[in-house]
Amino acid sequence: MSMGLVTLKINGKEVTVKEGTLILDAAKEAGFDIPTFCYQANLSGLGSCRMCLVEIEGQRKLQPSCITPVMPDMSVFTETETVKRTRSAMLEFLLSNHPLDCPVCDKGGECELQDLVYKHGPRKGRFAEDKVRHHDKDYILSPVIVKNANRCVQCMRCVRVCKEVVGRGVLGAVGRGVHQEETSFLRTRLDCDHCGMCIEVCPVGSFMRLPYRYKARPWDLVSAKSVCGYCGTGCRLTLERRGDTVVRAIAHPEDGFNRKLLCARGRFGYDVMNSEERVKTPLLKERDGTFKPISWDRALELLKENILRAGAERTAGIVSATLTNEELYLFQKFMREVAGSSNIDATSRWSAESSLRFIEATGINGGGSSVYGCAESDVVVVLGGQLSEENPVTDYIIRYITGARRNTLVIASPRGMKLDSSAQLSVRTVPATTGAFVAALLKALVEKKDVAIEGMDVIKGLSIDELSGVCGVSVDDIRWIAARLLSAGSVGILAGPDLLKHDDGSEELALLIEVLKATVRDVRVLPFLDRANQRGAWDMGVHPYLKPGYREAEKKGLDVHGIVELAESGGLGCLYLIGEDIAGLYPDRALIESALSKVGFLVVQDSFMTESARMAHLVLPLAMYGERAGTMTNQEGRVQRVEPVRKPEGDVWTALDTITRLGNLIDKSFPVQKSGDVFREIQQQVAGYGDIRGMESFKGASAEGVAELKPAFNYGAPERGAEEFWLLTGNHLFHGARLSQHSGILKELLGECVVEIGRAAAERLGVAEGDVVEVEGDDYMDRLPVRIREGTPDGVAFIPENFDGRDANRFLRKDRVISTVKIRASKKQGE
Amino acid sequence: MEKVLLKNFGKEGAHTIDSYLSGGGYEALKKVLGMEPEDIIQMVKDSGLRGRGGAGFPTGLKWSFIPKDAPEKYLCCNADEGEPGTFKDRGIMEYDPHLLIEGIAIASYAIGAQKAYIYIRGEFVFAARRLQEAIMEAYEKGFLGENILGTGFSLDVYVHRGFGAYICGEETALLESIEGYRGQPRKKPPFPALSGLYGKPTVINNVETLSCLPAIVNKGAEWFASIGPEKSPGPKIFGVSGHVKKPGLYELPMGTPLREIIYEHAGGIRDNRKLKAVIPGGVSAPLLTEEELDTPMDFDSLAKIGSMLGSGGVIVMDETTCMVKAAYIIMRFFSHESCGKCTPCREGTTWLKKIVQRIEYGKGRQGDVELLESLCGNIFGRTFCPLGDGAVMALRGVLKKFKEEFQYHIEHKRCMV
Amino acid sequence: MDEKTRKEIEEKIVPKYRTRRSACMATMQLVQSQKGHLTKEDMEEIAALLGMQPVEVEAVGKFYTMYNVERPVGRYHIQVCENLSCSLMGGEHILKHIERLLGIKTGETTSDKKFTLSTVQCLGSCGTAPVIQINDDYYENLNEKKVEEILGKLR
Ligand SMILES: Cc1cc2nc3c(=O)[nH]c(=O)nc-3n(C[C@H](O)[C@H](O)[C@H](O)COP(=O)(O)O)c2cc1C
Ligand code: SF4
Ligand code: FES
Repeated sequence: MSMGLVTLKINGKEVTVKEGTLILDAAKEAGFDIPTFCYQANLSGLGSCRMCLVEIEGQRKLQPSCITPVMPDMSVFTETETVKRTRSAMLEFLLSNHPLDCPVCDKGGECELQDLVYKHGPRKGRFAEDKVRHHDKDYILSPVIVKNANRCVQCMRCVRVCKEVVGRGVLGAVGRGVHQEETSFLRTRLDCDHCGMCIEVCPVGSFMRLPYRYKARPWDLVSAKSVCGYCGTGCRLTLERRGDTVVRAIAHPEDGFNRKLLCARGRFGYDVMNSEERVKTPLLKERDGTFKPISWDRALELLKENILRAGAERTAGIVSATLTNEELYLFQKFMREVAGSSNIDATSRWSAESSLRFIEATGINGGGSSVYGCAESDVVVVLGGQLSEENPVTDYIIRYITGARRNTLVIASPRGMKLDSSAQLSVRTVPATTGAFVAALLKALVEKKDVAIEGMDVIKGLSIDELSGVCGVSVDDIRWIAARLLSAGSVGILAGPDLLKHDDGSEELALLIEVLKATVRDVRVLPFLDRANQRGAWDMGVHPYLKPGYREAEKKGLDVHGIVELAESGGLGCLYLIGEDIAGLYPDRALIESALSKVGFLVVQDSFMTESARMAHLVLPLAMYGERAGTMTNQEGRVQRVEPVRKPEGDVWTALDTITRLGNLIDKSFPVQKSGDVFREIQQQVAGYGDIRGMESFKGASAEGVAELKPAFNYGAPERGAEEFWLLTGNHLFHGARLSQHSGILKELLGECVVEIGRAAAERLGVAEGDVVEVEGDDYMDRLPVRIREGTPDGVAFIPENFDGRDANRFLRKDRVISTVKIRASKKQGE
Repeated sequence: MEKVLLKNFGKEGAHTIDSYLSGGGYEALKKVLGMEPEDIIQMVKDSGLRGRGGAGFPTGLKWSFIPKDAPEKYLCCNADEGEPGTFKDRGIMEYDPHLLIEGIAIASYAIGAQKAYIYIRGEFVFAARRLQEAIMEAYEKGFLGENILGTGFSLDVYVHRGFGAYICGEETALLESIEGYRGQPRKKPPFPALSGLYGKPTVINNVETLSCLPAIVNKGAEWFASIGPEKSPGPKIFGVSGHVKKPGLYELPMGTPLREIIYEHAGGIRDNRKLKAVIPGGVSAPLLTEEELDTPMDFDSLAKIGSMLGSGGVIVMDETTCMVKAAYIIMRFFSHESCGKCTPCREGTTWLKKIVQRIEYGKGRQGDVELLESLCGNIFGRTFCPLGDGAVMALRGVLKKFKEEFQYHIEHKRCMV
Repeated sequence: MDEKTRKEIEEKIVPKYRTRRSACMATMQLVQSQKGHLTKEDMEEIAALLGMQPVEVEAVGKFYTMYNVERPVGRYHIQVCENLSCSLMGGEHILKHIERLLGIKTGETTSDKKFTLSTVQCLGSCGTAPVIQINDDYYENLNEKKVEEILGKLR
């Protein structure tokens, strides 16, 4: 695309803008606001509401500025009498069939129709006829969506966003002319992402939030800018409370890289904060196994005693990669400097080596690419995870950008995903064979083009046919992808958490990136991560081998596996978990239960009574997202400030307060700090955090060479018995980590654990969506309802890792790269 | 004037390929297939043929916008014939389907299309069947399909049936409809000539337009250009309906005065009553009265007096006609057919209808005429496609000439007539 | 949808177009022609067959007035043109007369499910007004007597 500039006049004022700019945007740049309804930046142009009509010199008719690009020397008028009269007329038309029921409308006070009528509208209505009514009572479309078609202004934003961005297309414009209604199939309940984008884009009160219904008026609300706590996309959102209750999360178009986009978790998962089940005071386990409330002073004393008693080598700590950077930074500082221990980690699910390799391969330590940079590349490759479910908003962004630009999207994943339908090619890989797949791709690349890269000779001995056999992707498909990559001007690669979980593919990916850098040159890499501040945790040095800013630690500590092993051997004196439910997440349930039961003193600080907390000696309450200040770093390396929307109820502390006071209690020289103080320290220590003005910066930390990547390249397909399923685990579209199960709203979307299989498997087993099946692991069996996922091959199953009591890790074994399960149709009751 | 479009109208058996061939059918196609596409386009330009679908756009010029080197192009024949008062295309399709098919083949060859769709309104079941049969015959005889007449040119012609939506006569709505969507117009640009059906270069032409082509090829561009006025020449089918003695289709030279059409060809007003008003080109065209009857029926002459030739559907109303009722029927039509996409048309036509309806039902209010005029001003020129403009032109036409009848209705709660 | 219908869709309709979605209008016409209207299940099936969302099929069905979406009609669907030319030539009298003859109002179906009566916009047959359409066929140049004859034959 050429990047020419165009100069034109708007209301006599000269402006120069990029070629292809819409008149609407050019006018905005010149300082003239043009009212709109149907226009929406990230949707296809429609030009139907006619609010934005302007006069253009030499043109007989008024023109829609929202779909008309600028032309050189054009002279546009946006404030003439004709234009003003037209705006007023369009509003009069829109009001003619509008019920004017503002007093009982949830949108009152933040309604675009209200606002525009106030600014541009007629002062008096002339319409005296019966209005078209689509229905009497509002109707419910989903646990989160309620609809009133009578208020609709037919801007089609809902229909377009659902199709073009969310990729569902479950809303349609039904009926013709004034009878047109944007709704679901026969107004039935929606089976969709429940992301609420239709609500967010609706300019009036036609699509509304069911949970927020009649709860508040905008002026009753106190709001704070935050970041969603549910995945690594790290969507910017504004949390709003009325009184002490958080009632809404919204995304502001002008604020945050995600513009208006949020997924169901982000938009509706806020109510975890209001949960009655929260831990509200420190609790000490009695001899009889029950918990008794104690004071914070006493709790900190106990913690201090136990840390000192255990000694540096026998103390360990694991934090959730969802805390703020300040908390994470302080945690490692406390552990290293006060407790003297490097036995720290920010995950329960993978090894320190695995994360080192991933960090090195994806260049997390060296800056990063924005999701937009990736999405706008000529060829976009998604591998190593189920992007649509793990990182829904990343999926939305990729979809609408690749949809609008028509660039090539390629997906390699063991499971089917919604984004498949936007891809030119989507291949299914055998689970835990990303490495073999990428190696095959490398073979195919060098077949076509000679590249002299250090380390390339290792792949000489490999055969593309064998690799194809291992990863299950046909040689033709591999060659097709390679050809696309070589003919691209830029390549974007999104690499997901499977690489971490299965410790598979990072080295090959690193080599692929090197090769592409030598051929295509413009290579943009984006890791997609399933924890909101995973990248921050690494940047902050919550890693047994890495200090803040990716500096090598003088002394390597134990990673989660080492810590569990030490505990299992009876050698762990004190384990401090913050926000991390290791019992529910560690990929070997039997082992972790046994190991935790042997820990001398187990302290769990968390917002809820987690599986781990139940096993703890001491439980501390924990403030969650929306209740703390600081910064978070998303998967792109974008550092965003968060503000608390409220103080938690009860005697709940933030991790930051807890750690500074504990540190100070043990060592008087450890200062009691606020998050701002800590951030200043981070700025000294971690490159890329120096320059944060306003609410965000986009750089991330950087340092070179955290790990040496030498691909071993010996591959074998993981073993699976006939009729067995490889089991994948991870976040669900409606659930993130272990927190979301406490959101009443999200629980309505998915209330219990499920097992997801492909259609072929379901047919083979003779089961339908919703039927209960028996899932059997090595020594654990559960009955779970089936969900069918289109595009997932037979032999692959998925269980979300988000449910207490039905934890996916009960099926997992540490000694296997990937565990298998048997699945059988369950006998129906009474049979 | 020798008839070329309706020469077989009403003739038993005329629709078969044998009958068509015996009258020299498909000779034009044969001739054309030996010519350079550019030369055909030039010939059509020289003929002065302007689109018979309503807008009167020069056909040859439209074709010349099609990029020559595009690998995939389409021709769409607009057989939606939805404009009230229009029934000419149906006449051609029922009695002379091969004339149209030959025209389609000529046009497709000229623009380089390998696929053509005939978009026919759903109600025309009989005509669609006739077309389908004729297409099969043409395939059998090698006038369609692969390698036509050994020239290397291939063409497939398909019938796509609409299913009840006037708006699908609008060319981009027609494309949406073929693609399987609701028939709502697309934004322009890009124009169909660059990005039409399936995003490929596409020409959309009316049935009558395409049916003129064989005669142009056979008789020459000069012959065509010599008929009727210089700027809009050729034969034209006028469909006369309403209060005349002999309603029906009349193929006459473009520019034939309205008076001649009504009084000579259509036999004059029924029961020898007085003429009150006449709509010259489908209901979107503003109506004319007695003193305008000498206007030549061609694009420019009618535009000059503030009306339009449109589809050439002439609706005659005698002195017994209540103009408020006529206006109500027309407004009811537009509000029923408004596709719902843009605000002024969707809401505006419905509002207009409701006001005219209440006047018609004896519930009119003082100020209603002014309100109608004001709303017309707010709709006109602001809609997404010309449908909304059509509604306004029609209503303005009636208001302009019969305002007192509206006032009478409002005051006396009943008809003047 | 039976096997034969599916086959007809795949072999006769789908190949006409570049996309499967393009086949939806004709497919819906075919399915409707078998029983007079389209049900929820029909629309779901058509959607699955052509790779569309059910709501898209419904939206098409409710945009084009000739589809009877979830609206059963009698064996004979009588549609009376109410546009200008027909109205000028007495279309309204024809409508009233049919209402009287069938004992139903416009929009209704006779209790024996034999006749449904509707009005339509211009049928494109203005030169032979007034006109009605019964199922696929046009009846032109009507007067009261002709209407009686036609209905008499169908009863
Ligand atoms: C609302 C509307 C309805 C139309 N209906 C028809 C129609 O039924 N038949 C037709 O040929 N053109 C119709 N047209 C005109 C077409 O858009 C288009 O101009 C025409 O098919 C081009 O063919 P031509 O150049 O051969 O006239 C309609 C236009 C509008 C705006
Ligand atoms: S869950 Fe992930 S993608 Fe969704 S809103 Fe939150 S951070 Fe964004
Ligand atoms: S904003 Fe331009 S037409 Fe709606």
